[in-house]
Amino acid sequence: MSQQRDVRHGLRIGRTEFVRSVREYFRDRRRIIGFGFVLLVFGGNTVFALPIVYGAGRAARSVTSIPYFGFVATALPVVLLLLASLRTAERIGNVDAEELILMTVHPRAAVIGLISSEIALLALWIGLPLGAVVIVFALGMGAPTLPVTAGLVLLPLFCWAAVWGYAFGIGVLRLLRWLPGLQRILKIGWAFVLIPLMFGAPFIGTSIADGSLSMGGLLAALTFEPLQSYAELAFVGTGLFHTPSIGAVAVLGILVVLTPVGLAVATGQATALWFTDDPTPAQPQRAEGSSDGFETPQPLASTGAGAIAWGHLLRAVRQPQELAHLTMILFMLGPGAAPFLRSAENVGPIIAGIGVVLATYLAGATFGLNPLGDDRPAFPLLLLTKLGPRTLVRSRVLAGLAIGVPIAVVVPLGSIVVGNPSLPAVGFAVVGCGMCLTAATFAVGIGSAYPIYEEREFWGTETVVPSTGVMMVYLFVIGPGTVIGLLLMWITLTGPVNLSLPVAIGVGVYLLLTATIPYGSYRYAVRRYRTYTVQ
Amino acid sequence: MVSTDADAVAIEATDLRKTYGTETALDNVSFSIESGTVYGFLGPNGAGKTTTMRLLTGLTQPTSGTVRICGAPADDRRAIASLVGYLPETPPLYEAFSAREQLDYVAELRDISSAVATERIERYLDQFDLAEDADKRISSYSKGMKQKTAFVQSVLHDPAVVLLDEPTAGLDPRAARRMRESIAEFADEGTTVFLSTHILPVVEAVADEIGVLFDGRLVTEGTPEGVKSLAETGEDGTLEDAFLAVTGEDQPIESTADQ
Repeated sequence: MSQQRDVRHGLRIGRTEFVRSVREYFRDRRRIIGFGFVLLVFGGNTVFALPIVYGAGRAARSVTSIPYFGFVATALPVVLLLLASLRTAERIGNVDAEELILMTVHPRAAVIGLISSEIALLALWIGLPLGAVVIVFALGMGAPTLPVTAGLVLLPLFCWAAVWGYAFGIGVLRLLRWLPGLQRILKIGWAFVLIPLMFGAPFIGTSIADGSLSMGGLLAALTFEPLQSYAELAFVGTGLFHTPSIGAVAVLGILVVLTPVGLAVATGQATALWFTDDPTPAQPQRAEGSSDGFETPQPLASTGAGAIAWGHLLRAVRQPQELAHLTMILFMLGPGAAPFLRSAENVGPIIAGIGVVLATYLAGATFGLNPLGDDRPAFPLLLLTKLGPRTLVRSRVLAGLAIGVPIAVVVPLGSIVVGNPSLPAVGFAVVGCGMCLTAATFAVGIGSAYPIYEEREFWGTETVVPSTGVMMVYLFVIGPGTVIGLLLMWITLTGPVNLSLPVAIGVGVYLLLTATIPYGSYRYAVRRYRTYTVQ
Repeated sequence: MVSTDADAVAIEATDLRKTYGTETALDNVSFSIESGTVYGFLGPNGAGKTTTMRLLTGLTQPTSGTVRICGAPADDRRAIASLVGYLPETPPLYEAFSAREQLDYVAELRDISSAVATERIERYLDQFDLAEDADKRISSYSKGMKQKTAFVQSVLHDPAVVLLDEPTAGLDPRAARRMRESIAEFADEGTTVFLSTHILPVVEAVADEIGVLFDGRLVTEGTPEGVKSLAETGEDGTLEDAFLAVTGEDQPIESTADQ
């Protein structure tokens, strides 16, 4: 009786959470545009892939002839389990309006609700394109029952992954509650895991392409036969299916048995998390404070903007989580730099170049991409002080330069140690310093154009991060701009310079854009500050 | 075993102690509140009021001691869910919903029949001047409107015990009066109201009994008049004078600063 009631309540919670999530996605125009963009990119890709899928369906003579079938069948449960665990740890491990829900229904109902809402969201975002692919494949095969049987095969898998992923995710949250230091280590650790991944992925891709790594062998090694047999059950009723193997039946049985067990474990874990306190003291163990007043060091102390810049730097040191958005560079720098690193003889210039790109990125991205939003809720107060808008904007530029310029100088000069000729090293440092100024002034303009005020989850931290669009524009302008500058400097200092008219015009245009776009951007930021009104 | 006897003890806390690491938030707090009583729970910031309320709801477990609501232990979640209505300091509302959607949702989770739920929701919406805005998203509400909506959702299932944490915070004078009247009406109908607030005139107006928590200990308890006389506030003394006297906060500001 109570179980039926919990399931009923759980489904109501699931429906409500689903509706809330969908309303959140379409809350304002910015989100709708973002959704349209995602739909355009991924929907477009799916639509273009459908003819290939149709062809694959027509060509399928046996299950094993379907490309990557065994690997996908093996990887899918693992991916779903990881996805559910991550989503739990990041988003749904805690209940929104917990006093209401936990004082109204049994924790089991809350768990069922959160999991069912998650499955519904997954079905919406992934299920629709996946469904389209399956239907088109079925049409190609001439097997109209395939979408139904595929759905029946996927359902137990989804339920198993959802409950065990939830249980595992909550387990992780409980562990992190007991070991808060581990959470900080993991956040930093992720970055260290990502760096080799980002640098390594292009190497693997190239190795597969040139044949030094066998794709067939790799896929065979990553295929688990019972899971492949289970996935083959989707072809029941088609010419591709013969008889179910013992492995397939065993997997189905395990999934069916383990799902209610997983729900019980997840409920137990969630109850323990929601109804017990943090074992660490509520007060910070380390009483953080500062006995000195706000004293700005030289050379920043000489100007008003410098003093404010020092404030930005101090806040960054004390609250580094507010700079979580800087991890975006990992996704750009790795794939971009990896191909160059294959050549050992150029390691010096490449290190210098990477240092300069990193420096220019940091000069603008650290403090410039969301200047209006970063200062919330003190921003209205700042505007009411005697400080002019120029001072406020310059403070962000200066703070960015204080981060970027030292890297732009130290890394190229340090690359001399690993064989970089000293003249190009100095040249790179000069380019780096100039591009830091360019990046910092460019960033404040585009950051002011699209401020973000709401906190959101980013890299495991609830903070205000710049708009993703602004970050992408910044990366795609400053990254190539810096690389062009470095190449021009390298050619000028090391090679024969053949300055034909088109080349001269190109260089002139580049220099003109490098100077005028950031200046215009800076002027825009100042104007935006001057005309800002609190909504 | 849950008791529903009108004369029975509605809330019973025995030797409640709560520690966070080396910090003691509550130190052997005991009280007993009869059904139909409005109990004003007072204390300065950080005294342990919210911790006490969370212990009464079962959302937090005590380090030692017990809590019983109408005879049910606080960790009997199904019993507590039906017996208690809780309004925390931050209203637990979904901003993406309208007040009507929110209340309908809570009524569904409380298994209140559709007809009864509709009647109650409409009555409360009228009573708290929310009817006109009931179909607007809660994200567009003022703090007071959110507070009123959260209050309605906490009493929608007609609970035996209502725990209110700062219920009049953010309310305009008219709404605050309406809230005080509602609290009195609930008590008249036999509901026990546990009222935690800083606004002493509210307590003075509606409370049958008060308890003052200071530094994690219940330093005094009794009727408002009894507490005032105990604190020797004199004939014209107010509850504020009594509160400041029993919490040791009636020193002149200069002398406090000198310490």
